[in-house]
Amino acid sequence: QSSTANNLEGVLLMGKSGSGKTSMRSIIFANYIARDTRRLGATIDVEHSHVRFLGNLVLNLWDCGGQDTFMENYFTSQRDNIFRNVEVLIYVFDVESRELEKDMHYYQSCLEAILQNSPDAKVFCLVHKMDLVQEDQRDLIFKEREEDLKRLSRPLACTCFRTSIWDETLYKAWSSIVYQLIPNVQQLETNLRNFAQIIEADEVLLFERATFLVISHYQCKEQRDAHRFEKISNIIKQFKLSCSKLAASFQSMEVRNSNFAAFIDVFTSNTYVMVIMSDPSIPSAATLINIRNARKHFEKLERVDGPKHSLHMRMR
Amino acid sequence: MEDDYKPLLGSEQTGESYSNRGSTDSLDRVTDFKAKRPFHVEPRNIVGDDPQERVSAEAAILNSRVHYYSRLTGSSDRLLSPPNHVIPRPEEIYIYSPLGMAFKVTGSDASSRNPSIITIFAIWNTMMGTSILSIPWGIKQSGFTLGILILIFTGLLMLYCCYIVLKSPKAIPYVDTSDWEFPDVCRYYFGKFGQWSSLVFSMVSLIGAMVVYWVLMSNFLYNTGQFIYNYAHNVNVSDSEYGTNGSDKVICPFARNDAANHTHGTVDLGGGGNGTTDFSSFEHWWSKTNTIPLYLIILLLPLLCFRSASFFARFTFLGTISVIYLISLVTYKAIRLGFHLEFHWFDSTKLFVPEFRLLFPQLTGVLTLAFFIHNCIITLMKSNKHQENNVRDLSVAYLLVGLTYLYVGVLIFAAFPSPPLSKECIEPNFLDNFPSSDVMVFVARTCLLFQMITVYPLLGYLVRVQMMGQLFGNHYPSFCHVLLLNIIIVGAGVLMAKFYPNIGSIIRFSGATCGLALVFIFPALVHMISLKRQGALSWPSAVFHTFLILLGIANLVAQFFM
Repeated sequence: QSSTANNLEGVLLMGKSGSGKTSMRSIIFANYIARDTRRLGATIDVEHSHVRFLGNLVLNLWDCGGQDTFMENYFTSQRDNIFRNVEVLIYVFDVESRELEKDMHYYQSCLEAILQNSPDAKVFCLVHKMDLVQEDQRDLIFKEREEDLKRLSRPLACTCFRTSIWDETLYKAWSSIVYQLIPNVQQLETNLRNFAQIIEADEVLLFERATFLVISHYQCKEQRDAHRFEKISNIIKQFKLSCSKLAASFQSMEVRNSNFAAFIDVFTSNTYVMVIMSDPSIPSAATLINIRNARKHFEKLERVDGPKHSLHMRMR
Repeated sequence: MEDDYKPLLGSEQTGESYSNRGSTDSLDRVTDFKAKRPFHVEPRNIVGDDPQERVSAEAAILNSRVHYYSRLTGSSDRLLSPPNHVIPRPEEIYIYSPLGMAFKVTGSDASSRNPSIITIFAIWNTMMGTSILSIPWGIKQSGFTLGILILIFTGLLMLYCCYIVLKSPKAIPYVDTSDWEFPDVCRYYFGKFGQWSSLVFSMVSLIGAMVVYWVLMSNFLYNTGQFIYNYAHNVNVSDSEYGTNGSDKVICPFARNDAANHTHGTVDLGGGGNGTTDFSSFEHWWSKTNTIPLYLIILLLPLLCFRSASFFARFTFLGTISVIYLISLVTYKAIRLGFHLEFHWFDSTKLFVPEFRLLFPQLTGVLTLAFFIHNCIITLMKSNKHQENNVRDLSVAYLLVGLTYLYVGVLIFAAFPSPPLSKECIEPNFLDNFPSSDVMVFVARTCLLFQMITVYPLLGYLVRVQMMGQLFGNHYPSFCHVLLLNIIIVGAGVLMAKFYPNIGSIIRFSGATCGLALVFIFPALVHMISLKRQGALSWPSAVFHTFLILLGIANLVAQFFM
């Protein structure tokens, strides 16, 4: 309904009630979860989701399976609406679930609906809450689930990830998902590398605008902290939360000390860029001019690919 | 304004760093930088003697996540709180300084934690109640040998149940149970029903204790008054009571010709049959069951209506002193009276009771209340410094309590002068077996009287807080509510003191009732359910815990028949 009206496409985040979807959405998209919205019943309302990312993608959450008959009927009657115009299906499985058969059954019915309504959709499966599994068993259990899911998903191809909000796997999984959704991402990466080398930056990161997930990065030398992407993402999302309390929106940031200078700025309509220069003698103005010029070039790149994105370039 | 942009570390960066404030203009206008100065600390004040610790990458990223997730929910919301298996061990927790140095945490609030010995003493002190006075009677009711065996067995059983109560909050996943008590655990597993029923049964134990206190207070006040009166008027009433002769007199208050008779004492203690009007009028105004319970109302009802009970909490030391004095009293009496034991295994004789009697459920009922601490053990153990020793400390505490009860029970039973008196004479309150003229026992009674007067309002406060809190959400809704509750409690005490002052029966019934829920059924069920949820419930374990539940039910049912 609202999806088709604005030429928006849906990203469905589905899974059994209690599998962790709301927490996941809150963490990835920096939404505040108010206590009373953590309801005892199923997630019913979806059309008013304001979570948009990558330009024209709208994130919709649905609880799938395990509720009372009212929800079942509602779900069945709304099926075509829910599954129409879906670009991505992300299905969340709780690794601790004791009803594997039921979970698979609901997953399959979602896949059927996808095949009927949006056969080109990409399917991702997240095996969630892996922190509850003992460390030495995680790989084994995930491999089992992955095999089952791949088998059940035929003819559709699904990509599986194991995730937990308490380690880096959630961030990496969503980064991979978003990476696959960016049109022409390889070309972006090549151009990013060129850009970085021209301005002599130590590292250049490209973030998705809404989630600050790292889409692509270039580094000219080994960095010590493997978790730096997630840390930066968390810091900026916290900052965005603070800004939103003041009805301000985050646009850009410069952090500097005697050893480095880092610039975070809007890049294209879907992305932010972060440039890290370890030569403090280069004046900020120079780097900012470089970023501004690169922006124009990258926007042209985006505009070239895919008319479906062109309508929403000027939304911000 | 220049100062606001000073960097955290290192040399001053002037000029070109701040020339492009254009990029931050939009933020300038919106936030007041003066109000949010970053830290600026002189380096020389920060660097201490401690060596610099390197924070591990995992700890750093976990810290970042915890910070971020805490912004996404309300402060009291536990949805995105790190679960225990994610948080590093206390040895790996660091405190960050803003300049990037990290210091290890030196043991979380070590100051408010008690060493094991204090915890053990606190548990012993809390468990030691007035049931100690009924242990000799209980041993008498079940037979000497069987009584000792039952005491040991019941102690171990209740220790195990206490252990599973103590373990129960930790087995709950995803929720922060650090300030939970056992009723909260029951609410988690059984919903509202669990919460309300555990509250009701907890009330049974508290109100049962308060009724026992009233009966005992009447008893002690009577005896104290009697002693003072007799001392003042130089009255010697030793001939009027049936008992031993000699300096260490032991009496049998309800003289029975039939040793096998086990009637409950509803006989009004008429005291001496002397004819002087002084006596009879004093007896009239100073009667254990008729008037004294009412005099106590004047003293205690106002105390119950106090808003806060912290004043009375200061007097808990009186309880310890009383118990220690009782132990020394018992030792002294045993030395003076000597041992009088004869072992008749299954038949009762005129003076002795069989070693194994069918009345043993009376002892188990008394012991259920004597070893009862399950409704507050979690709170008591929380302040133990070395939490890993909790089980050991609990076992030691139970051992000490069991030894104390065993000591008092065995000594009184053994020292009870059986050639003239029958063992059947041992009273539910063993101090009743000593005349009111006995000085040492008079001191004991006075100590206990004072102690009970100070504990009674504490118990009343606990009842009030729990009932008012659950029913009205407010600990002190209004004076009328509180007064009504107090009148009901006091009324129960007065009625019992007047018509049924047998503390042995009150203790065993209230013990078996509250033990049924809070010692046997709820802990066993909670344990089995949590094991089942983890998929770790084995058949022997399920059978054993079901057997525990059946024992609890049998304990209560047997009180009515035996």
